[in-house]
Amino acid sequence: MAAQAIRLFRKMDGLFAVYKPQGVHWKHVRDSIESNLLKALNSCPPPAPQHAVQFQLLSSGENSSSSKDLALSPTMVPTLADHPLVTGPQFHKVHVGVGHRLDAFSSGVLVLGVGKGNGVLEHLCKSHVTRDYTLEGEFGKATDNFTDTGRVIEKTTYDHVTQDKLERVLAMIQGANQKALITYSQVDLRTQEAYELAVRGLLYPHGKSPPILTGLRCIHFNPPHFSLEVQCVNETQKYLRKLIHEVGLELRTCAVCSGVRRTRDGPFKVENALTRQHWTADSIIQAIAHFHKTTRRIRKSGMYRQTAGQMNSSAEVQEQIRSQTGQSEQINQDEFSSSTSDTVVDRETPVTMSEGRTKHR
Amino acid sequence: MALVSLRSCGRLGFHLGLRAYATRPVGTPRKREQQDDTPVFQYVGQHRKLQGKVFVWGFSYTGALGIPSFVVPDSGRKKPRKYQLTPYRLDTEQKISSAACGYGFTLLASNSRDLTKLWGMGLNKDSQLGFQRTQHDRHKSYDYVLEASPVSLPLVNPQETRALQVSCGRAHSLVLTDSEGVFSMGNNAYGQCGRKIVEDEVFRFSHSICPAPLVLGSVYACGWGADGQTGLGYHNKASCPVPVGGDLAGVKVQQVATYGDCSLAVSTDGHVFGWGNSEYLQLASVTEATQISSPWLLALRGVGRVRQAACGGTQVAVLNEEGEVFVWGFGILGKGPKLSESAIPERFNPTVKVSSIRCGLNHFAAITDRGELFVWAKNVRGCLGIGKHDDQYFPWRVTVPGHVTDVACGVDHMVALVRSII
Repeated sequence: MAAQAIRLFRKMDGLFAVYKPQGVHWKHVRDSIESNLLKALNSCPPPAPQHAVQFQLLSSGENSSSSKDLALSPTMVPTLADHPLVTGPQFHKVHVGVGHRLDAFSSGVLVLGVGKGNGVLEHLCKSHVTRDYTLEGEFGKATDNFTDTGRVIEKTTYDHVTQDKLERVLAMIQGANQKALITYSQVDLRTQEAYELAVRGLLYPHGKSPPILTGLRCIHFNPPHFSLEVQCVNETQKYLRKLIHEVGLELRTCAVCSGVRRTRDGPFKVENALTRQHWTADSIIQAIAHFHKTTRRIRKSGMYRQTAGQMNSSAEVQEQIRSQTGQSEQINQDEFSSSTSDTVVDRETPVTMSEGRTKHR
Repeated sequence: MALVSLRSCGRLGFHLGLRAYATRPVGTPRKREQQDDTPVFQYVGQHRKLQGKVFVWGFSYTGALGIPSFVVPDSGRKKPRKYQLTPYRLDTEQKISSAACGYGFTLLASNSRDLTKLWGMGLNKDSQLGFQRTQHDRHKSYDYVLEASPVSLPLVNPQETRALQVSCGRAHSLVLTDSEGVFSMGNNAYGQCGRKIVEDEVFRFSHSICPAPLVLGSVYACGWGADGQTGLGYHNKASCPVPVGGDLAGVKVQQVATYGDCSLAVSTDGHVFGWGNSEYLQLASVTEATQISSPWLLALRGVGRVRQAACGGTQVAVLNEEGEVFVWGFGILGKGPKLSESAIPERFNPTVKVSSIRCGLNHFAAITDRGELFVWAKNVRGCLGIGKHDDQYFPWRVTVPGHVTDVACGVDHMVALVRSII
């Protein structure tokens, strides 16, 4: 029945996460998801053809062949107006939108929105959710595009690099980024409210800001290979590859990035991301249902931010957003596994030296 | 230093010859053999030692930062840089082990046995940097020293003695050596240099650097005493170092801090003694009087064993054994714009461990055990080094490329001794 296709279509409203493989442009992922959804929608059995009464000139009766008596008789004839071969497939477009994009070299969680979920995607992008990346690096060479597939520009020795030195360099980079969190929060630091927020670690970048790393640590060190885990806001993957290169420079050697893998985008984690075999309508609808609550929360916080944005002081805006709905950190924290252990530098180094601990990353 | 090691490859010459004539079309992948003959550079060896660096920032017109191009630009088109708002590297020939900032001048000391142990830059109108002979006149000394210039000390054994620590006041300086005691130079109008006050002495172009006899463990004071800051029990000037009595008699002191008119001493068992000006509630925990002329034991509740104390002009900070910082006094204390004065010690975030705390006239500096430098309070002419002229009402990190080991705070400039990370 047509109703089945329409029922299926109504279920496709929301956000879900997909695992984008490396080497694939995000647009191809989006296109293949869309075509899979359309295939599923259009492969639903077509509605039973409607019948219409048609007066046909039919030869009357059984005493037929030679007789030329043609009489108008009403017959139920299927109308062809709704036939799929006439109208074409019922669905030719499904709105599939992409959240924070991933470039072709990177892989990992890619959030897509279908139907009404596209509006929520916008709220997700505007909310300053952090993203988790695992960066693989290799010491010893420098290339023109910071990856291991580029043209080699320089080769250096790396036998002097120890994990201790790497940790020190990462701590220094993170210290510089901690300041940026408050600097780009667009609050007047001379006010008492700003001080209270800063002390509790609730100041966050507001509006346009450069890429800021809220957390950085080394999870694996086996020269020349090493892995970093990064939590960041407002980043691009090229910036992260450049970060690997700069870590190499600080250690007086060179480093290239051999992989960028996004493991979390806000509340969407890699465990819940669909792999290629599961890019079918059924799995997608299941995933949408799984993220239903999260989607609702993002939508609510987005609407709240819109109304709160009309206030004057952005410190008040920040405070209201944090205190009343507490979205981002809840979104991040509830769904966040505590796999990032206690050696995460950012948790132990509060943003300022004042009272309180950061809840944020 | 780069040590270039070329991988020798039998076909190297052949490939080089090839490259000289043939061009590879764009987009074709390189052959693997061609990738192997890129030279490998070594920038740093395995046993590289950590380097000591010096960073300066603040007001530069007196030459206190030691960078001449800030005051007298290299080219005519450039303008002099009045404020250096972020840390700037100062190139030094030797590793600097101790630094001190006074009012518009800086002293750097190195721990070595070389003949040159001390460098000074900045204001020299009272000969606080010794006699810096001018190029054109043997009997005149420079009023402003723009570059770190050696300060010669009249040592008995210049090739054996080491300079351990330097300290600067408003217009005088003190140098501590390991075997020849303390030397002082500069303005002696109140006897602060520890030598006899000469009426109407002219300190410009002065050559006098004199040693002072002292005993370990006890506190000596000399100088102006109108606010009781000498702690000698009277309010006159003292021109010779006199041991301080009061509650400090017989107490072994590990550290003394003073700035402006208030002084604090920390004993080896963690008690704090204070004397001098108390108009800004620095000593309000023991007394309501505004001037205390002999040391009193400060009973600070909740502070525990004190490891280090630092005095500013109107505010005071102490650091206890657990690495917690307590501040009190008047001014921007570092807990927001509302807290502008406090008579009782206010504590900062205990999760961050602080290893050392310093005070300038109007600002604080704290070094955490991770080697990060945090500064706060009044930003006089860019002395905080945070990149802006605004006052800072809570501790703010100063971005320095390395681990900060020590910092010296002056009125409007600061010097940081930094150890490199790699």
